[in-house]
Amino acid sequence: MRTRLWKWFLIFAFAVSATSYARSAFAHGEAADEPFLKNLTVAFYDVHISPTNIKVGEPVTITGSVKVLPTWPFTLDPPVTAYVNPVVPGPVFALRDRTVNGVPAIGSIAIDRNGIYNFKMVMLGRVPGRWHVHPGFAVDGTGTLIGPGQWVDVEPSATPFKYEITLLDGKTLDLEHVGGSGVWWWSFAGFLIGVVWMFYWTVPGPWRPDRRTVHNLAVTAQLPTWDQGRDFGLVTEGDHKWSTFIAAVTLAMLVIGWLYMVSQYPLRIKQQTDRFTPPQPEVTEMGQVKALGSVYNPDTHTLTINLEVKNTGANPFTIKQFTMGMMSFVNGDKEAVEKSGPPDFVAPMQVQGNATVAPGQTEKVTLKMSSEMLDEERLIPLNDPQEIIAGLLFVQDTSGKTSSITLRSTLQPTEFAKKYF
Amino acid sequence: MAAAAPVSLAEQRRAELGRLLRKKYKYLDRTWDAVFWITAIFIVGAAADITKLLFAGDWDFWTDWKDPEWWPMVTAFAVVIIPSALQYIQWTAWRFPTGATYTSVCLFACTWIGRYFQWHVAEYYPLNFIWPISTVGAGIFMDWILLKTGSYIITSLVGAPIFGITVWAFNYIPLAPFLQPVQFMNHIVTVADVQGIAYIRSQTPEYLRHIERGTLRSFLGEAQYVSLAFGSTLAIAGYWVGQFIGRYLSVWPIGKYIKNY
Ligand SMILES: [Cu+2]
Repeated sequence: MRTRLWKWFLIFAFAVSATSYARSAFAHGEAADEPFLKNLTVAFYDVHISPTNIKVGEPVTITGSVKVLPTWPFTLDPPVTAYVNPVVPGPVFALRDRTVNGVPAIGSIAIDRNGIYNFKMVMLGRVPGRWHVHPGFAVDGTGTLIGPGQWVDVEPSATPFKYEITLLDGKTLDLEHVGGSGVWWWSFAGFLIGVVWMFYWTVPGPWRPDRRTVHNLAVTAQLPTWDQGRDFGLVTEGDHKWSTFIAAVTLAMLVIGWLYMVSQYPLRIKQQTDRFTPPQPEVTEMGQVKALGSVYNPDTHTLTINLEVKNTGANPFTIKQFTMGMMSFVNGDKEAVEKSGPPDFVAPMQVQGNATVAPGQTEKVTLKMSSEMLDEERLIPLNDPQEIIAGLLFVQDTSGKTSSITLRSTLQPTEFAKKYF
Repeated sequence: MAAAAPVSLAEQRRAELGRLLRKKYKYLDRTWDAVFWITAIFIVGAAADITKLLFAGDWDFWTDWKDPEWWPMVTAFAVVIIPSALQYIQWTAWRFPTGATYTSVCLFACTWIGRYFQWHVAEYYPLNFIWPISTVGAGIFMDWILLKTGSYIITSLVGAPIFGITVWAFNYIPLAPFLQPVQFMNHIVTVADVQGIAYIRSQTPEYLRHIERGTLRSFLGEAQYVSLAFGSTLAIAGYWVGQFIGRYLSVWPIGKYIKNY
């Protein structure tokens, strides 16, 4: 008895620790994706999710940009079609509006390597709770690529959640209750007729006191299937009459239902979709980057990238930021770091060497960045067949213009994990 | 009184079968009936649901996927299979035209329980977005046709297409309010489309949906009727997939142990 109690205690303790561990980690299993799926495919930057504390029915806005990198891995289907969507745990928010590069986007978009997609999504809090919200970029053939996330608290509201839509004739409806309980009652009525049919055929009653099921096999096993045994009462005239009656009632229900539907909803259109190629924002090319290799130290979670930067523009520029997948590292003060994205997914970056490059000049610099998120989100390939990283290097010139340059580098960890099995 | 008219051998045999039909059994006279019908509810419901998920997937899940082209086609094929298998079993063994209705009633109960608890309560999706189709009315029609014809071949050729068309017809009625046009995000869309955009499905991107992506568009834009005709033809094939399951996969092993005449 005692040992059994211990066993249950251990199971309980394990379950509790497992759930609390899962809760402290990030919500959507995004870390399960392999590093190359995050850093060679796209880069998310300038992501802002606000406000972070709302009531049910109030809006949260997600803005930001995602660029499809020219380093898109050869192991995936080419990027052709994508869908910009929030990544949240189910419909705890309801999406109200979405634009990609300024165009309202009800459906998917056509994408290409080097394409930049500035998105804006407005969603309304629907279910109270603390939810982790990310922008997502689902690519056909690849899956949903996830941007940086932010916790949003949705508090209950005195008024129930409502999502108003305007019909073509100007009538407004609440999306939550379109159709009312009509679907249920209609389906349930059909179900009841089915139950009557089953009752008639399987349960003995005044309609057929001698009804039995499994013992019929003794008789039917001696007959071909077209023989209903009507002469000795296997299937009776009554069975035929009642069945025809129930089938007729079913048909009447269908006809009446159809006439009601036609009179009630004469205006019905096909489901709609709209796929388009978002117009590309203007970009200014300012420079070129040549990677000279990168090193990752798993003990200190530090990534070091050596590179040569060449200024091909007219003004001097400064290295401002490096974005890899969902993480952004910023060369600047605390305020500049905080401004660049959700707090868990931004960190400072040190630039060793000349961070500012004059026009026509080439500088050798070293970028140094540390964050536990590099491990937690599995951004660095440490056990992969492609020991390669990629991201976007942001430079800003003296006129205030910003440009992003793709950086792709081989990666060498200071140590590989030892393998015993 | 004269002696009873001589009875032919065939008539004697029919009378014998009638007595066998009404024979009282000492044990388990009707208990087995209840045991069978009740325990099979979830097995049959699950078999039908799995088959439907396998072949029709999301088309019977979201209102914005219940489209004019693919929905009538894939669901007709997917949902006729298990009703056909059960028709074979229940008609052959008991002469009950109940296989399709029984499957549909079980499927109805199982799916609504699943949609309500797994998707509405646990995942917050509103039921008016995720209501399942019902095949009960169509099942009654197909069972009635089997009763009237006593033939699997005629039931497959006539009953299965009627099943396919009426599954669509019975469920198009509750779909109608979701096909009303709405002004939304600078577009004219249906209520169902708004549901699909509003109720976020992070792992079901819009591009997975095939809204009239097929090659049926030359029929004056009325893909729906072409789809229905094609879907009901497919249902004949589905019916025979079900017959195969009923005849060989589920009954044949039992046949090895019972006496055949
Ligand atoms: Cu998350």
